[in-house]
Amino acid sequence: MIYKLFETLDKVFGIEEVKAHCDIPCGIYDPITAQIAALTVVRMVDLATDLEKNTAEKGLAYLNTISRYVAVKEEHAEKVKNDVRVIWGDYLKAQHLEKYPNVHALVHKIMSLGSKSRQTMDRESAVQLVEAVNEFAQIFWETKGIATKRAKAPYNPALELVYPNL
Amino acid sequence: MIVRIFKVTEHSLTPDYKEGDFVLVIKIPLLFNRYKPGDIIVFDHPLHGRMIKRVQNLISENKTLFVTGSQPDSIDSRQFGPIQAHTVLGKVVWHIKKTSSR
Repeated sequence: MIYKLFETLDKVFGIEEVKAHCDIPCGIYDPITAQIAALTVVRMVDLATDLEKNTAEKGLAYLNTISRYVAVKEEHAEKVKNDVRVIWGDYLKAQHLEKYPNVHALVHKIMSLGSKSRQTMDRESAVQLVEAVNEFAQIFWETKGIATKRAKAPYNPALELVYPNL
Repeated sequence: MIVRIFKVTEHSLTPDYKEGDFVLVIKIPLLFNRYKPGDIIVFDHPLHGRMIKRVQNLISENKTLFVTGSQPDSIDSRQFGPIQAHTVLGKVVWHIKKTSSR
């Protein structure tokens, strides 16, 4: 039995392994969902700020709309945190972390900025959240050997996003 | 000519190459275009380590090969782009399939 022979050789000498590597169950990871969610946070701050400025009578209708903006802001700031955590925890492997040792600090920064974006209406920290997620996206695409470009999102708030050059 | 034996792990070339199979790989200091589409090759990837994949096509201008697995979730050139010819350790000339009899 030839296989038996090789198996014995393997046991005795230890045959080197080659990986037919795959990523079960799906291998579909893309930081764009986190980037869009981060943009959504900025958009909600902008919409709420505008409404606040332009509404003379702050009655029920006003409160209703503001509540909706805030609810969407909450949801998307949390989505940013979740989507980044998934890529960080499930996709990034030891060899990536070795190559990008600042990833942990960057992910931690995203978590903090995500929380701050939920707690406040501070546009500056929401913009910082977009930028931190961009930085994360840049690293993500680099691990795949895919070049990136920066371009303004074709919708408001037209902030720059990192896109893969596919 | 360099002859090496490797043991296959993971599943991206299933059903042809399964985990636990052995492969005999040879490298004749051969010309780049001696690899052809359909060949199963072993190569070193800077991030993923020592991998086994199928050659999809050759890009002779820059001496790179586009390699794929058989499974849709295979991590291969569809994610990390073509590989450099100099990272190839050889092609499979003998495939020793794992037998179920124990």
